[in-house]
Amino acid sequence: MSHWLPLAAFVPLVAGALTPAMARGRPGLARGWALAVTAFCTFATAALTRRVALEGPFSYAMGAWAAPLGIELRFDEFSAASLFICVIMLLVLVYSGPYVRRALPATRIDWYYSLLLINLGGMIGFVITGDLFNLFVFMELVAVSSYALVAVGGGRTAALAAFKYLVAGAVSSVLILFCIGVLHALTGSLNMADVARRLATVESRPPVLLALAGLTAGFLVKAGLFPVHVWLPDAHAIAPSPINAVSSALVVKLGIIGLLRIFPLFAAAGAVSLAPLFEALAWLGAISVLAGAFFALFQEDIKLMLAYSTISNIGYIVLGLGLAGELALTGAGVHILNHALIKATLFLAAGAMIHQSGHRTLHDLRGIGRAMPWTTLALLIGALSIVGLPPTAGFPGKWYIALGALESGRPGFAVVVLVGALIIFIYFARMLNAFYFRAPSHKEMLGVSEAPASMLGPVLLLGALCVLGGLLTHWPVALIAPAVGRLAGGE
Amino acid sequence: MRFSQLYNYEIAIFLSMIGFYVLVSRGNLVKKVAGLSMFQTSVFILYISMGVVQDGTVPILVDGVRVYSNPLPHVLILTAIVVGVATTAVALALIIRIKEAYDTVEEDEIHEQDRSF
Repeated sequence: MSHWLPLAAFVPLVAGALTPAMARGRPGLARGWALAVTAFCTFATAALTRRVALEGPFSYAMGAWAAPLGIELRFDEFSAASLFICVIMLLVLVYSGPYVRRALPATRIDWYYSLLLINLGGMIGFVITGDLFNLFVFMELVAVSSYALVAVGGGRTAALAAFKYLVAGAVSSVLILFCIGVLHALTGSLNMADVARRLATVESRPPVLLALAGLTAGFLVKAGLFPVHVWLPDAHAIAPSPINAVSSALVVKLGIIGLLRIFPLFAAAGAVSLAPLFEALAWLGAISVLAGAFFALFQEDIKLMLAYSTISNIGYIVLGLGLAGELALTGAGVHILNHALIKATLFLAAGAMIHQSGHRTLHDLRGIGRAMPWTTLALLIGALSIVGLPPTAGFPGKWYIALGALESGRPGFAVVVLVGALIIFIYFARMLNAFYFRAPSHKEMLGVSEAPASMLGPVLLLGALCVLGGLLTHWPVALIAPAVGRLAGGE
Repeated sequence: MRFSQLYNYEIAIFLSMIGFYVLVSRGNLVKKVAGLSMFQTSVFILYISMGVVQDGTVPILVDGVRVYSNPLPHVLILTAIVVGVATTAVALALIIRIKEAYDTVEEDEIHEQDRSF
């Protein structure tokens, strides 16, 4: 079936738009509908990922109009991220059932699932498109639904956090749109492969550099790298926990995947030298690793701490991109996928704790390890992974990035990788201490019951995936190896 | 290429900077959204002016006309306008919620209230 590729992106978009109408007067249907659609997407992307692993990248011409005139959907090795997106979204939807019943007003529940499906469709579309303008449209689908999802829980600060996110997001989107316009003016094309070919013949350098700089800056804001991260902590800490898991694990990664999509345009042409940009990215990534970890250290609020740790981990990935060697790029690619698993585990487990106990600071959550042993176990596995201890999922990415730093003769960056992990380890020790060894600050904490099965199940499954992701690293590494080779060889 | 030949680019960038300045400098959230809209619209203008072909006419097939404007950027911007409207709508909806919670849309007063909590 050659139509799996467009269906994977457009089925959730259409289904998302239909959800409120479908679920009207039939409460409870929205979740089943969303689960069915996401299960379909998981199946479709799994089939596509299998095909790319066996045959290599393939394209689909929308409406049978061949590229570069028609719109091309292209599934390459990095598009396999869509499988991770679907799996995490599926688990988030299972988890959402009992969570939203208490956290959201009843009238908003249908809209919540509708927005999640649109978010899912946008994300899948973003990673499979081969067209620059489509990239922008899918990015905006994800962004606008994310703004609304941050505010969906209601509450005093939620709208303000969402507004801050919206301003940062909209400005970066306009910047990206502007630069796509510049590229279109230069080349007369929007198809990525075609733009890459035509950029080689462009004589004037400054506009090419302008487009490169603007696109990089725009996607870095989307990714929430350190100096442009100000929107991220509030948006990721205030939203409902399942939304945190989606936005922190998946949505910020789109910024990184956007970078992976645009660099080959400039690299293939040899129109500009990317080396100075990569140098800057490596430094920005290193600063972000340390700054994110450092800020996380001072947070009492468990969700705010996880949000800062996202900034730190985005730093790792950007550092890997900046080092640009084959090993470092492998590390960055693996960490994009594994960090998604880890952050989803952490936010869902923390969300379950907050949901059951009603508390969200480390001080208030003391003693929860005895009341909710399984959730705490999953949270700690996630925390171990985010530190990057073997054999968990956080280890291979950081290991490859550190090796890449050594390979390219930059041991300083390898030290940064280690120091960042050490700082997070301090936070891990604080959590361990608070959850297991301190006397509860609230007497009723010991009476808190374990999360319901449909919340605990996804959390435990993700915890298990965190371990498996560390043990089975050779699969994703082998999968993205050809793409990494193209990226590293294109310079 | 002289300065005046690319005046459409200069106008677009000038407009976008005005919009961006409003977005950054104003404390009133509604004015921020107005600045954001202007910022977006400047890029739309850039795209539309990009599609102009010298001596070209409206891209509808007519006998005797050989030169047409490039319709592709115009179509793209139709999509981008929809995206911009969606963003503005969400922003204004959020401002209504902020106004309900804080009873003001001035950034300074919101921060002051948050501090006193």
